[in-house]
Amino acid sequence: MVFETREEADFALYEKRIDLSQTTCPNREQRANGINIYYGKASGLIEKAKSGCLQNHERGFAQSSGCSLNFYLSVRVGTIRGAATIFHAPVGCSSSALGYRELYRGVPVELGRPAEYDLHWMTTNLREKDVVYGAGDKLKRAIYEAQKRYNPKAIFILTSCTTGIIGEDIEGAVADVQPHVDARIVPVHCEGVRSRLVQTGYDAFWHAVLKYLVKKPEKKQTDLVNVASMLSYTWQDRLEIQRLLGKVGLRANLIPEFATVEQLQQLSEAAVTAPLCPTYTDYLSRGLEQEYGVPYFMYPPPMGITNTDEWLRQIGKYTGKSDEVEHLIEEEHKTWKPKMQAIRSEFDRIAAEKGSKVSVLGSLGQGRLLAQMPFFDELGLASPAAMSQDYDNLILEELEGVVSQVGDFDLLVNTFQAAEQSHITTNLDPDLTLTCPFQGGAYKRLKGATRIHALRGDPHPWSTQSGYAGAVAYGNFLLQALKSRAFQRTLKEKTKDSYREWWFKQSNPLYYMKKEV
Amino acid sequence: MTKVRSVAIYGKGGIGKSTTTSNISAALADMGKRVIQIGCDPKSDSTNNLRGGRSIPTVLDAIRSGKKIEIESLVHEGFGGVICIEAGGPEPGVGCAGRGIIAAIELLRQQKVFEEYRPDVVLYDVLGDVVCGGFSVPIREGVAEQVYTVTSADFMAIYAANNLFKGIKKYANSGGALFSGIIANSVTLPIQREIIDDFASRTGTTIAEYVPRSETITRSELLGQTAIEYDPDSEQANVYRSLARTLLQNENKYVPKPLEAEELKEWAASWSDRLLTEKKNDARAGLESQNIASTIT
Repeated sequence: MVFETREEADFALYEKRIDLSQTTCPNREQRANGINIYYGKASGLIEKAKSGCLQNHERGFAQSSGCSLNFYLSVRVGTIRGAATIFHAPVGCSSSALGYRELYRGVPVELGRPAEYDLHWMTTNLREKDVVYGAGDKLKRAIYEAQKRYNPKAIFILTSCTTGIIGEDIEGAVADVQPHVDARIVPVHCEGVRSRLVQTGYDAFWHAVLKYLVKKPEKKQTDLVNVASMLSYTWQDRLEIQRLLGKVGLRANLIPEFATVEQLQQLSEAAVTAPLCPTYTDYLSRGLEQEYGVPYFMYPPPMGITNTDEWLRQIGKYTGKSDEVEHLIEEEHKTWKPKMQAIRSEFDRIAAEKGSKVSVLGSLGQGRLLAQMPFFDELGLASPAAMSQDYDNLILEELEGVVSQVGDFDLLVNTFQAAEQSHITTNLDPDLTLTCPFQGGAYKRLKGATRIHALRGDPHPWSTQSGYAGAVAYGNFLLQALKSRAFQRTLKEKTKDSYREWWFKQSNPLYYMKKEV
Repeated sequence: MTKVRSVAIYGKGGIGKSTTTSNISAALADMGKRVIQIGCDPKSDSTNNLRGGRSIPTVLDAIRSGKKIEIESLVHEGFGGVICIEAGGPEPGVGCAGRGIIAAIELLRQQKVFEEYRPDVVLYDVLGDVVCGGFSVPIREGVAEQVYTVTSADFMAIYAANNLFKGIKKYANSGGALFSGIIANSVTLPIQREIIDDFASRTGTTIAEYVPRSETITRSELLGQTAIEYDPDSEQANVYRSLARTLLQNENKYVPKPLEAEELKEWAASWSDRLLTEKKNDARAGLESQNIASTIT
């Protein structure tokens, strides 16, 4: 199926319009032909996507990953200040939220973490009886309880596979209760069975925020920049973004983590919505522009010096601060470019010694896929391959841009499939391989291996990855990880490999992919 | 520009709701209306009589295939240009048909099928045993606005209608569809009419139409056709035309008053007594025993 005009193709590639009259968003498969299984050239993926031939095959063998509910929402929504979250689910669905209070404790109050940061969430703990008889009343009782205990400004309801299967009437329960509670009730339809892509959870959350919380703008806050962050962004990233924007007299509306309900309500008053990850913020950005005229841009994210320059310039354009931004860039370059150059020189030196550029295998989400490739290029690293937890047409254009900028590369699309990742890591044998600290594989290799991003509670400056400080901090971190290999050596010596030799001999990491759709 | 008339038709399995619905669709199409008929039953045969007995691929089949979904694969044209859609569902004994209905209707909305085809009337033909949340989706906010139920004078069918009334009452306050009339099906004897009329009066409901059993229907269904297609000038076809007109014009919608279990039992028992008495009298009078439909318990 090939399209006659680009316009026609554009329309079919993904849905641009947000329909807030619906209870929730379409899932990413429907909205943008999302997939989470592919191995081949990035150019091959692009071609398939454009011609509408990209299909989401099944895996004959898969390892655990997350779902739309527990991958992100369950550990993020609870941090919203002045709000409470109700998991309308069996007790296990919220279990990943349990460790998070302790996790955030790693960030000292001196760095700006709220001293009082209790995470207010409850679970309706659905049991057999609720599945059989319905749990509408239980949900209503939970909402009243949340209002009573926490007196919040908003109560988020997260749905689960269970409520989805039994056809719970969430909106009906909300309609019944809303007139009697002060808090704004915000139902988020994020049951895991809805989608293979965890990104659907993000869209579902933004849909609910747009539909129930964002208010009609009372005034324009011309110095406010909306910045939405994902799980992989650290406290230091917040600080860096605030630092940079602060220097040109702008304020960052950092959401949703530790944001207040007011911040979410005021999203419509901002001057612009800036991305950290384009596909993560896509739904929110489009919705804000469509309903309230808040402009947005999708690319680039502020990773690496060149991209940070451009990111700031875009923001400057929408806030009338272009001159201030140029001045800021100049100043920041004076501080950071020499440091970057030092790192680059060291990578170049190592490259010269070994006879070729230092190769790195990285990425994580779609945003990082787009951001890391140019960043590695800036550092003088070669990236013959990359991994992405999923792919959908929202980033098609930008992916084309990256390929034209850094050249073609191998791409493995998979959501935390450790065996597949281990396969390409072993066979491509890069000098440095990066893995997700939460759900990555442990590689038994003598060459470099380290984390793609820091753990959420890591407050250390080395955990920065965005902005100028991040470009240098992460570049430096990669350099150190490349050089210091005692850990890998010990790991390889003392522990067995998780996979048999046979596995690495297979030609394709997607050995277990089912051919028929 | 008139709003779309969206109607859900519920009825006990086998009572004749798909026959009724497809005949209404055909009659409406005959009047020049654009109709979408959506079958919401895992049997997926609601629209067969608009298509010469041929079934169509279902919405859930399309979801299951994993391929990118095109509207064209979901909608199929039938007699008179009626747009036919089947939600589909699992085989007997597996999965969850209720979730199937939820997923199918959600997909149709997301795919903007109603915006694309701009119907005058949308008919949801739904399984009458509203056994779980999923089957009530057509009567929840934003789907159908009016509900009709097909019932005969048989107790089981009336029981199902009474259950439906409970469901409607439950969703009435949160924007759910309201009730607009009973379609009394297979009504051939005066006493069958009386039974249904009495039930209507007890539950505060109205009768939309009385539809007799008919050989025309028996014959037309064998060919996979509606009466409108098979024998457009027949009496039966005209009954459906009258019902279609009612459906089109009836603005009356209200919350029914379902009977409680005990009340319903007593009501059924009283009719049982009367029917048995009459049967005895008829037998004594030597009259041929009439076909009073199946057992009333």
